[in-house]
Order: sequence, then C-alpha cells, then structure tokens
Amino acid sequence: MSDETIRDLIDRALDAYARLEERGEEVEDEWSYVADLSDAWRTRFDAVAAHRGSAEATDESGAAVDLAIDEIGRIEDPHRAIDWLSTFPQVVLLAIGERP
Amino acid sequence: MRFQDAARDARAVVYAGIQADPLVARVAGLLADATLAERILARAVMNGETTEPDRWRAMFPTLFGAAADGTDGPAHTDRSEAILEASLAVADRGEQVRSQVRGAFVEELSARLLARRVGTDAVRRERRILFDGVRAEIHPYDVTVELDGSAEAYDCKWGARGINADVLHQLDDARSNAAGEDETLQVALVVFDARRSCDVRLAHQTAPHEATRVVTIETLDGLAEPAT
Repeated sequence: MSDETIRDLIDRALDAYARLEERGEEVEDEWSYVADLSDAWRTRFDAVAAHRGSAEATDESGAAVDLAIDEIGRIEDPHRAIDWLSTFPQVVLLAIGERP
Repeated sequence: MRFQDAARDARAVVYAGIQADPLVARVAGLLADATLAERILARAVMNGETTEPDRWRAMFPTLFGAAADGTDGPAHTDRSEAILEASLAVADRGEQVRSQVRGAFVEELSARLLARRVGTDAVRRERRILFDGVRAEIHPYDVTVELDGSAEAYDCKWGARGINADVLHQLDDARSNAAGEDETLQVALVVFDARRSCDVRLAHQTAPHEATRVVTIETLDGLAEPAT
C-alpha cells in the first residue's frame, strides 16, 4: 500500500481533467457540451471522494491513474480530447475500484 | 412500411470494404462477450495515443493485475489480452481509417448482439425504411431488425458526440411514420460511450428523442435480451 488516499488520486486526476477540458474547449461549437460533460463527471468524482476519499489507495491504483493522466497529457487533437473527457473518468474509476 | 437495401453508391462501396475488414469482425466478436471493464479498455485503446501494451495493462489493474480491492486477480485475462491486442491493431491504423473501423465495429457489435435475440436472418445492415407518401431518407439505418409485426431500427455511434439533431429526427420520424401506418417500429441509438456522457449530450438536443431508446456501453447486453 502507498501512503496515498483515494482522494489524492482523484485530486490528481481532476487536475489533469481540467487540462483536458481546456483542450476540448478549443472546439468552439462544442464549448457548452464540453463544460457540461466535465461538470457531470466532476460530480461523479466528488461523490466518490466524499464516500471513499480517506481510504488508502493501492500502488496499482496509483500507477494506473498516473498512466491514465499521462495518456491524456499526450492528446493534442481537441476532438480526441472531447472523446477522452468521457473515457478518462471511466478509466480512473475502474482503477480505484469504483463502478465506472 | 417496407425495408429496402441502400443504394450502392460510391460511399456505400467504400464503407462496405471497411465493414468487411476482418479486424472489425474480430473486435466485435471479442467485445460481444466482454465485461464492461473490457469494453472500456477497448474504447480507451482504440481512441488512445500510446500503442505500448504494457502501459495499457498497468492502466487496467482490475483486468490484468491483482484487483484494486485486493481480491484475487481477474478471471478473463486471456480475453482481456485478446481485446487489448485487437484494439491496438485498430489504433495502429491511420486516423481516418481508425475512425471508420470504430464506426463499423459498433455496428457489427450491435448486429451480433441483436442476432442473439432475434436470429441472424432477421438482422440487416444498411437498410432504408420506406413509407407511403413520405420521401425516403437518404441515409440508411445502420442496423435493422425485420420481423413480421416487430421491426426495429438502430443508428450506431462510437461516442456521445455523435448524437445530433439529424440522427434523432431520422429515428423519431421513422417511428412516427410507422405509427401513421399502424405499424410498430422501435427505434434506438447504440452509443459505445458512457451513459453519463450520453445523457449530457441528449440534454443539449431539442430534437425529439423521448421515444428513442439509448443503449450505452453499460447496457449493450440489453440488445440481446427481450425488451421489458
């Protein structure tokens, strides 16, 4: 077990998610969809943090979340970023043992 | 109401080649029996940047490592490996081809799941639906179920962003035109994406969709089950 909690992983994921959102907002026609989509998934993360935030995270979970963060950090295409605004949360939720 | 093969125009011929790609059938066959986590793996990999399998394995510890909750490891590692390999093969295609393959894969997966419920012969692809006195839609429906007294029309999308006014109108128009002929046509969107994301997308649409079923990555197996 690492010293990290589930909340630590979610905080890191949300920081990266905000950067992904900014990339997706480059598609001007989809700005409001991107904003609402991001809000919807943040709400889900907040619920998990409220419920399990203080629980210890496993090393595997931490590594998985960091790799997912690295993956979205590689995205340059804003259209692909919008696709990942949906996929990234599900990958992270799976990694921390939550229902995606 | 009657069904008709779509015109074999240039687009249809090119797309038929994509649909016939063995990789499409391979991915669809694997994902027809997959768990939700495996389907999310496939979506991530097919839409991913990295093509290094070890990175994906580590990103999905519930599929390839000890489970995140500390219980014993996963039970379907072989299938997860096969899904990872096939999804990487899709990702390895150029951007345009990858996009086409992904679209064709969602159609093929939908058709396979529907065939489990109604049989292969009743499931058709690329069909138009004609109604008396109504100008036919140009775009065919991706998948249809054609049984006497029980017809269904499906449009298939890779992601929630594919949900738009045109597709919602087309599906709802078909349903209402069928009702005008005292026929029942169930219409649905199959979206290989999260329900939460589809709900957000639908909330942005003003086109009628109250009578359109939305099947998402979480509920794909419902295609193989009788409607409740």
